[in-house]
Amino acid sequence: MATKHSKRSDRLGASLTSLCAGALALNLLLVVAILAVLVVNGMGYFWQRDLVEIELDDGTLVLGEIHEREEIPPELASTAEATPAERIRLKLGNRDLTGFDFLWLDEQQIRDLRNPADAVVLERTEYGNFYGYMVEMRRGDEVLASGSDEVWEAFGPLQERKVEQQAAIRRLARREIGDVNFRLEQLRLAERRLSTAGLSQAEQSARRAEIQERQRLAESEYEALSRTLFDMREDWELESLVMRAADGTLQTLPVAHVVRAIRPNSMGRSAAIGLYLSRLWEFLSADPRESNTEGGIFPAIFGTVMMVFLMSMAVAPFGVLAALYLREYARQGLLVRVVRIAVNNLAGVPSIVFGVFGLGFFVYFLGGSLDRLFYSEALPTPTFGTGGILWASLTLALLTVPVVIVATEEGLAAVPRIVREGSLALGATKFETTWRVVIPAAAPGILTGLILAMARAAGEVAPLMIVGMVKLAPSLPIDHHFPFVHLERKFMHLGFHIYDVGFQSPNVEATKPLVFATALLLILIVTLMNLVAIGVRNHLRRKYSGSAV
Amino acid sequence: METQTTVASPPPKPEPPRRNFADARTPRKRLLADKLARWTVIGGGVAVIASILAILLFILVEVVPLLSGATVEDGRRIAVGPDPVGAVLSDEYRTHVALLGMDGTIRLTEIEGGQIALESAIVPDGAAPILAVRSAPSQSMFLAATTDGRLFTRQVDWLVSFVEQTREITGVLSESIAFQLDLDGQRFGAFTAGINDEGEATAAAVLADGTVALVHRSVEENFLSGELTESFERYTSAPPVAVETLVIDADQRNLYGGNARGDLLWWRLDAGAPEAPQIVTSGRGGVTALSLLIGDRSLVVGHDDGTLEIWFPVRNPDESFTLTRIREFAGLTAAVRHIAPSLRNKGFLAADEAGALGLYYSTSARTLWHGPSPVESPTALYFAPRADGAFVAGADGLAELVIDNPHPEVGIRAFFGKVWYEGYTEPAHVWQSTGGTDDFESKLGITPLMVGTLKGTLYSLVLAIPLGVLGAMYTSQFMHDSLKRYVKPTVEIMAALPSVVLGFLAGLWLAPRIEHLLPALLLMLIVLPVIVVAAGALWRSFPLRIRNALPDGTEALIQVVVVAGGIWVCLALNGPFAGFVFGGSFQDWLLDTTGLPYDQRNAVVVGLAMGFAVIPIIFSIAEDAFSNVPRNLVSGSLALGANRWQTVTRIVLPSASPGIFSAIMIGFGRAVGETMIVLMATGNTPIMDWNPFNGFRTLSANIAVEIPEAPQGDTLYRTLFLAALILFIFTFVTNTLAEIVRQRLRKRYAQV
Repeated sequence: MATKHSKRSDRLGASLTSLCAGALALNLLLVVAILAVLVVNGMGYFWQRDLVEIELDDGTLVLGEIHEREEIPPELASTAEATPAERIRLKLGNRDLTGFDFLWLDEQQIRDLRNPADAVVLERTEYGNFYGYMVEMRRGDEVLASGSDEVWEAFGPLQERKVEQQAAIRRLARREIGDVNFRLEQLRLAERRLSTAGLSQAEQSARRAEIQERQRLAESEYEALSRTLFDMREDWELESLVMRAADGTLQTLPVAHVVRAIRPNSMGRSAAIGLYLSRLWEFLSADPRESNTEGGIFPAIFGTVMMVFLMSMAVAPFGVLAALYLREYARQGLLVRVVRIAVNNLAGVPSIVFGVFGLGFFVYFLGGSLDRLFYSEALPTPTFGTGGILWASLTLALLTVPVVIVATEEGLAAVPRIVREGSLALGATKFETTWRVVIPAAAPGILTGLILAMARAAGEVAPLMIVGMVKLAPSLPIDHHFPFVHLERKFMHLGFHIYDVGFQSPNVEATKPLVFATALLLILIVTLMNLVAIGVRNHLRRKYSGSAV
Repeated sequence: METQTTVASPPPKPEPPRRNFADARTPRKRLLADKLARWTVIGGGVAVIASILAILLFILVEVVPLLSGATVEDGRRIAVGPDPVGAVLSDEYRTHVALLGMDGTIRLTEIEGGQIALESAIVPDGAAPILAVRSAPSQSMFLAATTDGRLFTRQVDWLVSFVEQTREITGVLSESIAFQLDLDGQRFGAFTAGINDEGEATAAAVLADGTVALVHRSVEENFLSGELTESFERYTSAPPVAVETLVIDADQRNLYGGNARGDLLWWRLDAGAPEAPQIVTSGRGGVTALSLLIGDRSLVVGHDDGTLEIWFPVRNPDESFTLTRIREFAGLTAAVRHIAPSLRNKGFLAADEAGALGLYYSTSARTLWHGPSPVESPTALYFAPRADGAFVAGADGLAELVIDNPHPEVGIRAFFGKVWYEGYTEPAHVWQSTGGTDDFESKLGITPLMVGTLKGTLYSLVLAIPLGVLGAMYTSQFMHDSLKRYVKPTVEIMAALPSVVLGFLAGLWLAPRIEHLLPALLLMLIVLPVIVVAAGALWRSFPLRIRNALPDGTEALIQVVVVAGGIWVCLALNGPFAGFVFGGSFQDWLLDTTGLPYDQRNAVVVGLAMGFAVIPIIFSIAEDAFSNVPRNLVSGSLALGANRWQTVTRIVLPSASPGIFSAIMIGFGRAVGETMIVLMATGNTPIMDWNPFNGFRTLSANIAVEIPEAPQGDTLYRTLFLAALILFIFTFVTNTLAEIVRQRLRKRYAQV
């Protein structure tokens, strides 16, 4: 009886153990699956697929990239057939001609499917990609080249020149005209400041005249520059390219608007890899185009890094100070225990709550006061009284300071008592012991905490949406204008970029690949930071578990 | 004894100054540095900790004004003429008042200085003496009844102009309009009038014989000359009960009456022509005052016992309307004489016979202030257009009240309770924060958001608790260290995945797939456990030699393949399964059998994504709890002959259960506050139901969506701070509870 019972319970126990193993397996599988989805979709974004020209039963020709292939869902099937038909999704491009990006095609409608060698993908600065064939290249009315291959040959060198010209234009617009604009704005503010400065009437008018003289100078400079800019632009946009779409429509577009021209079907493997890498580099280093849906994400990377950097500058000293106090200086009692639990639990308070606090305290209260005190000439346009990178960093510093405190405390607690007492016995003061002996020993712990805090900050979005992130920041928070670091500026952030482009852009379907790539980058950054933190921590544990206490 | 010792002791040597070792040999500079560092650390540490804790305080400070009442202070006194004032109006900035005397004279007076800017009679020259006067504040109109059965109206308009950045306000009076209500020229009783922007007006009065007469004025504009021609129609209605007070709305679609028996009458009007009145009995004492709130939907009823009630027509199932009592205020103690509605919100002032005043708000059912009238026996009461002041006229003059009443529309009851909003058939929990027009009020019920928060949390915990706890149990109890080394960091990486990425995947990748693959998902619930148990049995049938060669816990790795296979099978069977069980489409089946709608971004999607975010938290803490069960307990159990599973369920699980509880609590706290996943993976509609295939809106997502639009210091802004406060307190309490449980557990283990 007893054996029977125990056998049955054995079997039950074994089954339940398997169930536990299954649960763990599912967890691991989920992690792998999510990473795989991100990697496949994110890395695929840069890969150029072949262009296919499809001839349909009714004779229509379409040109595009095949994006996916699936069974036709039952509710869409035209006829009830035994074998479910398949359909393909074609990315069409040519948004300026067709107005939509994707097309579903039933396999059965397709008469012919080929990969024409001279089909061209044009990446443009406007309207997304163009798929078609090159027909002619012109300068004004003069035909420079005609015929698919001839144009292709002539196109490469010309486009290189266009890229150089564009760089020159951008330099002029950003640097020189930007400088003049900046000066004009400073003069405008200086003029407004005059009336509040409390000067005598005569002095005021003298200064005003001086300012106005300088304004006139700046304005004439501005006009000269913008004339130059206009001429350069005209020269830049002189050449045009005539393209033929698959259905025969001709489209003329300035060569200058082409970012890249590719013949994917006649491209060798090494060229394909080169293209892949060049696109990857563009993604990492270029500015976004077409309201963030194309081009690179450099400003977002820059914003994220700078914000995390500012945050660490705030969080590291204060977090360590608080931990030192709790562990080394405060008398261990009920109060410290309560404070410790409270600090611990702050790490679990939702990040949005910190965002709300940041908005109310930093932006409206501190920022508003700063504006009234130092930037009153710019009011009602807020300077610090609106979201900006400084407030975002401070908000995140508050959010992550518990992480640093807890990790530092752990690190401090792991330093054996003997080491401390040895130092004290040799005549060192408490400060010297802490500074020369305890903190170096606890450094890996502190570092772990800091890295974890940075990783959390890099991935956090919700509070930043409230205190300073924008869809598209006109300028980076660092530039060559005095005082070089502009802490009041709004900034872009990788996480917010994902939310914004993925959910707020007009054409979600077409921008999804870009968002996948961004998400992958963010995950890589965060994961890397975490792995480093885990490594440091393990190292720390091994080091101290070995030492005699 | 003592003396002896003193004597015996050697003469006292001069004691060396008390110094310790360090002091004796340490240079002053180092000591100073030590002291300095000490104070820096203590000062800095305390400051950091205090400022972290000040977050709660700051949020609290922003929330408190929501719940505080109004402050009402006595303002300026305005000298008036010898005649008592029968009605008061004023401009938006309270620089001027327009007073209608009982003698029918309108005086526009500047408050500072008291100059009379304009003086004119409401009744054109030569008409009969004045019987009574009153005002229609929402139309800025004075009314006067004459002894010959006529009613006269005149509107006051305030023109605002800016001369060199100073504001100048000029009052202008419209032409007076006369309504012949009693054809025989007899005196009438209660009266009222309403006028719309086009000049279309209706006057109503209770005649001497008890019938109600209405005169409708229509205006036609000659489009060539722009000349206006007015025409009058007269209608009567003979109600079965007496009528002693009347009020009409500005658009003249509804006329309300009341009497001393406590009956309320409601006529619907069509261009002045009344239908038969609907009569309801309030059950209270007699009706002594009536007024319409802004929007002209809610009727404020004042009774002779001082109670105030709000009534409005409520739609019945058969599309008809019934005048219904919505809420009541204990209000005043004597008969209500005057009710002054706010022109900005659903607030109103009331005055009773005894000279007591009260400030109320309809929607939030709040009594904001009670106090004595600054003047004796009030004859007129007016709520200034910006709702920041009021005027009371009485026997001894006119007094201004300065009212600070920033957030009357909310309160504990309006936030958390059901509120009967205008136009609703029953009280409801509603969150609808954006109001475009003046008479549309924002509805700030937090309950739907709290329910949404709990809904999202619940569905994610359904996934996260079993997977997290069972996975942790297996890892800690059945897995060899060599495997644990890889499993735990993997799960920790899972915890570090930014929620914006999970939200993106859930909203744009998972949600459209789940829509098609829901049957497969349901199938997995059955198939996966079965297949896993079967695979486990198969694994155990392998010779022990092979199994022992591999580290403990290899089964889990094999199960990864099994689970992946199971999922693949389920996905492949999606079509046939859907066809077999749900007749093709799950969505149609759901709508047909249960009547529930299917929303693409729904609670199941959120549950999966947020569950994924919570699993690692529960896993890590539960794993700690399992691993920290003292080794000797486990060894003891095994030594007594219990098998592995028995030991786990009978020994390890009970000892670790407080730790698991705290793991679940912390996971719960994380799910409650999660923002980006719910923001991206639900439709963010603030509806209240538990349908897993519908969306919802959580407190946190609500803050993210609405706070950029909320002006600083506004009611919505503070309400969102309240939402943050609720989240803060909720998670803080949950986490503290979990932490205390964990610390106790640690202490208990230490004793074993």
